[in-house]
Amino acid sequence: MNLLSYMSENAAYLWFLTRQHIELVLLSVLIASVVGVGLAVLTQTLPGLRRALLSVTGSLLTIPSFALFALAIPVMGLGVAPTIAALTVYGIFPILRNAVTGIEEVDPAAVEAARGLGMSSGRRLRTVILPLAWPVILNGIRTATIMLVATAAIGAVVRGPGLGQLIFQGLDRLGGANALEEALSGVIGVVCVALVLDLLFIAVAKITALRGWNV
Amino acid sequence: MSDRPTPSPDAMIVLDGVSKRYPGQDKAVVSDLSMEIRRGEFVVLVGPSGCGKTTTLRMINRLVEPTAGRILIDGRDVTHVDGDELRRGIGYVIQQIGLLPHLTIADNIALVPKMLGVAKSERRARALELLELVGLDPALHADRHPRQLSGGQQQRVGVARALASDPPVMLMDEPFGAVDPIAREKLQTEFLRLQERIRKTIVMVTHDMDEALRLGDRIAIFDSGSRLAQFDTPLEILSNPADDFVRDFVGSGAPVRRLSLLTVADVLGTAPSTAAGAGRAIEVDPGDSVHTALEQVLAAGAEGIEVAVPEEGSRFLDLGTLLTAASQPAKVLT
Repeated sequence: MNLLSYMSENAAYLWFLTRQHIELVLLSVLIASVVGVGLAVLTQTLPGLRRALLSVTGSLLTIPSFALFALAIPVMGLGVAPTIAALTVYGIFPILRNAVTGIEEVDPAAVEAARGLGMSSGRRLRTVILPLAWPVILNGIRTATIMLVATAAIGAVVRGPGLGQLIFQGLDRLGGANALEEALSGVIGVVCVALVLDLLFIAVAKITALRGWNV
Repeated sequence: MSDRPTPSPDAMIVLDGVSKRYPGQDKAVVSDLSMEIRRGEFVVLVGPSGCGKTTTLRMINRLVEPTAGRILIDGRDVTHVDGDELRRGIGYVIQQIGLLPHLTIADNIALVPKMLGVAKSERRARALELLELVGLDPALHADRHPRQLSGGQQQRVGVARALASDPPVMLMDEPFGAVDPIAREKLQTEFLRLQERIRKTIVMVTHDMDEALRLGDRIAIFDSGSRLAQFDTPLEILSNPADDFVRDFVGSGAPVRRLSLLTVADVLGTAPSTAAGAGRAIEVDPGDSVHTALEQVLAAGAEGIEVAVPEEGSRFLDLGTLLTAASQPAKVLT
């Protein structure tokens, strides 16, 4: 049986796993974005803490993903929860790093003028700092997303959802009927998801840049 | 501390024994400074760098919190009121301008009205009106973004933004420092004309003595450590510098610079009468500056000026008498 006929025969199942994969990644990225941007904002005036957070989240990234998923088992068991937790941990660093850079690169004159006009700190964040840092922050989120699309496949180790299941099942019984086709369609699915999400982010960046993120 | 004299009723800004000391520094940036700035007055703070002039300016709208003393604006003690709210009622212009690059010019100008809850259509109308006021065509500029404007145009927008909620007081920190010299002089002249119309109380910081002399109704010269060396009119500072520091700071051109601040009427009182008709004279107005009068005399190759004086008829001053009178600092006090 060749790859194409395998894929067309299992189209419904493949599509289900693909959607699962996308949902898994987007949910993890969302949580990581809230945490990452939030930490960058909260540590604006605490450069020491900021550096510490960056090196902690950066070093979390060096834990092999296989090991991190396995480490999550005793705490969270198997399934969706440990997968999302591990992916979120990975996603925080690129988002936090870009948010910090983006906020630091905001023209101090704009912030100073806003303060001089009587803008409260919350309003300065909303109307000056976040909109001006937005392109850099968005880029961090994009990097995290692409990274997590690949990492999410490893989530199948802890019975996580998504296309990883195909890859691991296929590799497990390599040599058996359709084993290679199964694993390959998982890999192809992951690549496609990464491409589609990347294009999505480029579109978001274009649209928000054109409209001038003005809240 | 100062002995807290009651501020005069036309005082708009009063600094009363104000100090700023940063923790960990043994010398105060500003120490026990008292100043009174009158309603509608244009005061320029000048001095060498590190003299505390910018800190003083930023304490008026509490961007820098004073560590001691009181600040009164229009009779109200604002030393402890909410800083953001205070700043919304005071215009503020900085050298780097600080327009928000992601907002249109109209939205930039309308920032303070927006914070104050002014309706959208009204904000827009106000922004267009202000663009007109600072000499930019609203139809051409309102919907552009800051980067599409030249430095001088951006600074005009900065001034318009500071004026948006019609504040009685404007603070300006080297507002013309970043524009090229030719545009700067144009902006200064325009700004003086604007001030004649709007009559705000303005406090401006500069390190440029020529700018101070051109713009200020009064000039406050700071020595290091925020010592207020002299706080007086440009003419008085040039004529009677308070001490050697002021004399040095003003520089060597004082007698010549004075000529554009003195009017012909100022020197008439001290000049001995010369018989009219003694030479070819140029007719000038008593309100003209001595500088202008001299220029006309020299250009025409004449020997003196003729001024119409209301009750005495006309008077003739030859070149020598005019110059002698103009160079006597002590006698021109009015």
